[in-house]
Amino acid sequence: MKRYRSKKVSERISLTLIYTVLIIISLIWLIPFLMLIILSFRGETAGMSADYLFPKEWSFNSYVRLFTETKFLTWYGNTMLVSIVVTVFQTIIVLMTSYALSRLRFKMRKPLMNLMLILGMFPGFLSMTAVYFVLREIGLTQNLLGLILVYSASSAMQYYICKGFFDTIPKSLDEAARIDGASRHTVFLKIILPLAKPIIIYTILTAFIAPWGEYMFSSFIMQNNPDKYTVAVGMQSWLNNATLMSDGYFSIFCAAAVIVSIPITALFIWLQRYYVEGITGGSVKG
Amino acid sequence: MAEVSLKHVYKVYPNGTKAVNDFNMEIADKEFIVFVGPSGCGKSTTLRMIAGLEDISAGELKIGELIVNDMEPKDRDIAMVFQNYALYPHMTVYENIAFGLRLRKLPKDEIHKRVVEAAEILGITEYLNKKPKEMSGGQRQRVALGRAIVREPKVMLLDEPLSNLDAKLRTQMRAEISKLHTKLQTTFIYVTHDQVEAMTMGTRIVVMRDGFVQQIDTPKNLYNYPENKFVASFIGTPQMNFFEGTLLKNGEEVIIKLDGSDVQITVPFSMLYKVNHSYLDGKTKIYVGLRAEDVSIAQENEKGGNAVIKVAVSHKEELGNETLIYGDINLNGDSGNPSPTKIILKDSSGREITAGDVIDVALKLDKVHLFDKETERSVLPRIPGYNYLDCEVKDGKLKFFGAELVMPEAAKCADGKYELLIPTDAITFDGNIKAAVASLENINGVKLLALTLGGKRLYAVNQEYAGGDAVNIGVDFKKITLTSDGITMHSPMPDINGINCKFAKRKSFETEEVNGKTKRRKKVCFGYDIEGNFFEVSDAVAQKIFAALGIKKAFTSSLKLEFVVSGFTVGESGIEATVEEMLDYGKEKFIKCKIGADSVYVKTDKDYDGVIRLLPDFEKAWVVDTEKDIKII
Repeated sequence: MKRYRSKKVSERISLTLIYTVLIIISLIWLIPFLMLIILSFRGETAGMSADYLFPKEWSFNSYVRLFTETKFLTWYGNTMLVSIVVTVFQTIIVLMTSYALSRLRFKMRKPLMNLMLILGMFPGFLSMTAVYFVLREIGLTQNLLGLILVYSASSAMQYYICKGFFDTIPKSLDEAARIDGASRHTVFLKIILPLAKPIIIYTILTAFIAPWGEYMFSSFIMQNNPDKYTVAVGMQSWLNNATLMSDGYFSIFCAAAVIVSIPITALFIWLQRYYVEGITGGSVKG
Repeated sequence: MAEVSLKHVYKVYPNGTKAVNDFNMEIADKEFIVFVGPSGCGKSTTLRMIAGLEDISAGELKIGELIVNDMEPKDRDIAMVFQNYALYPHMTVYENIAFGLRLRKLPKDEIHKRVVEAAEILGITEYLNKKPKEMSGGQRQRVALGRAIVREPKVMLLDEPLSNLDAKLRTQMRAEISKLHTKLQTTFIYVTHDQVEAMTMGTRIVVMRDGFVQQIDTPKNLYNYPENKFVASFIGTPQMNFFEGTLLKNGEEVIIKLDGSDVQITVPFSMLYKVNHSYLDGKTKIYVGLRAEDVSIAQENEKGGNAVIKVAVSHKEELGNETLIYGDINLNGDSGNPSPTKIILKDSSGREITAGDVIDVALKLDKVHLFDKETERSVLPRIPGYNYLDCEVKDGKLKFFGAELVMPEAAKCADGKYELLIPTDAITFDGNIKAAVASLENINGVKLLALTLGGKRLYAVNQEYAGGDAVNIGVDFKKITLTSDGITMHSPMPDINGINCKFAKRKSFETEEVNGKTKRRKKVCFGYDIEGNFFEVSDAVAQKIFAALGIKKAFTSSLKLEFVVSGFTVGESGIEATVEEMLDYGKEKFIKCKIGADSVYVKTDKDYDGVIRLLPDFEKAWVVDTEKDIKII
């Protein structure tokens, strides 16, 4: 007679297997970040060497040097300013575009949506030189406003997930509100937005993360004006400088990287539950 | 607290689908109107057009005194209850109800007063601070009703509000909505697909199918006098029994023959006076309709009677207080399939009947409904369209039923025997034939008189008739038809003159003095192009045409202008027309003339010949898009 394993035991075995695999994967994911944190506490100036992991001398020296010797704080401020302004612009634009595409019926609506989808498939840097020349003509190169403009300009293309979420809100709510005396504008502000909290959070998160770590456009636009650098450009400039690197900047770089990751981590932890809800709420039902 | 009027309202979707066709209705203040029909019949679309959620393709919609075609829903002062409640999920019940009032910037204490009042009426006071998701379906629908009634709207629109509720709750809410209507004294328009809801709630019901209004009437009249087979089958459970058959007039009797069986029933002709006589030939196929409650198991004393037929029972449904018996009038037939010989009857005698029995069944033939097989329209209308009689013409005189009338010039025919068709509205009350009034019926505001003349029956409609046993009648000759052996000798004059036209634009130049300089300004005006004559129209009319046809198609579509007979006057200028004939009807004279290929009748008091010019009066005309068959204005 064949013997059957108890259901409980087999369940436990499969769960153990699954969790082991997950833990290994997450460790692989976490190793670079852990390395970064540990390296940032090196006390000795060991150049750009990662031959060994744990520092011979633990110290906060790199952090102190980061804020006193370098322009990091300026860059950090620049990045923060750009990211926040872009987040505000992009969130507003995305929400409004999505509402229009979800609720209004106008000629060329479908073609417009398709066009945006196709345009979104091209990598942004293809237009980099053209954008640069336009910015130069209006005098916005080496200028944070120029960067904000470039980042916010294509915001509307991010409408897809948000529109999908709006589509799941029943149209009869709009109609009921319009009969109750609301204009389209009021419907958007008082009915749709309060119901779209998860997707607003999602939009804010994605809108903030993109400019925070973007390198290509900002390096191209800021060229050689270190006062206007964002963190990504600034830190990259250290890496390109061998003398700096031998002068303990490797640890400073790691310290900077840790500081850079703080706002995103904080934002993500704070908004996490909405974020998850936002993605599924928009994609599954839409 | 307002009337609603729909005139020639159409809804045409861009792909050409017509959801609503020529909807005409006057809804009085405080009425409870129910739109009913199967799915996709256009009832919800009509309601949404009234609400302003759907554009009106053509026609005119008035709420109160205002034309609201292009008005935003919020400005129409209406409230609507949706099938899925459409409550705002992020707001509490209180906020949901107060939302509309807050948007209208009412003072806070007034809002509070009204919300609490509405909550009390609907019994939801204890839920005011709850969110909709914490409530059951019935409670949610109450909130939706509350949101509508606090606004104190002119018109309440309800779109299948009870469809999402279970059967018991539905019955309860039905009664509550009816009560609410009495209490609020507001016009209600209610959409449902459930004929029970329609019958129990409406003061008047609009039955719709495939975008066409089938009948508008009170529940009782819909049940008793359905205008077509669809209404007859839609209203009432179980469905009306329909049999195919023929009618044959035999002296003062009519034989009703039912197909598929050897049933022959003889009824006195007086019962079928109103039937269009062309159906009494024993050949034209009709549907004979009888409701289940007008069919009963024959009592002992009825057996062998005239209206008793044999039915083979196939099965029955016990309902407790009564039994539905399914059977077949074709005794050899298999009534399992939907066959034209199937019959359902209600029996409350409690008699034991088993499948396979052959029983005697009595038909209440005074409740019979007859419908044309092709058009499915009733051939036993409440107001008969025509009187059918035999007549004789001799020496320019028309003789019928012992009366004599001098025929006017235009209606003159050769001596001989004819069949005469007199529309009921062509019997005038200013003649010199004396007729006795047999009965008077008031049907939806129309007075129908049954007259006896020489022992025969004549129907006439007349609004002025005040009473009296006898009236003096005459005949309006321009409306009668005289036929002899199927050849029409005199046909009636059409009520409507249709002429083809195009919508056109014309550029003109205006000179204007600006700062001492004369400037020429281009001005574009729109109008109808009738045979090369241009008639300018007002901007409002042009807008309507553009709205209905689209900017480009407006100029290419072929349109038809339909005028009433008095829509033309003979003038110095205007459209050229060739006189074909002068028609002299004694008191009135008409010119029959041609504009292009279209015949036009013009009332006149002089004789004309050759070419005349006609001035159209666009106030007395409407525009029809001939491609889509839509009345635009």
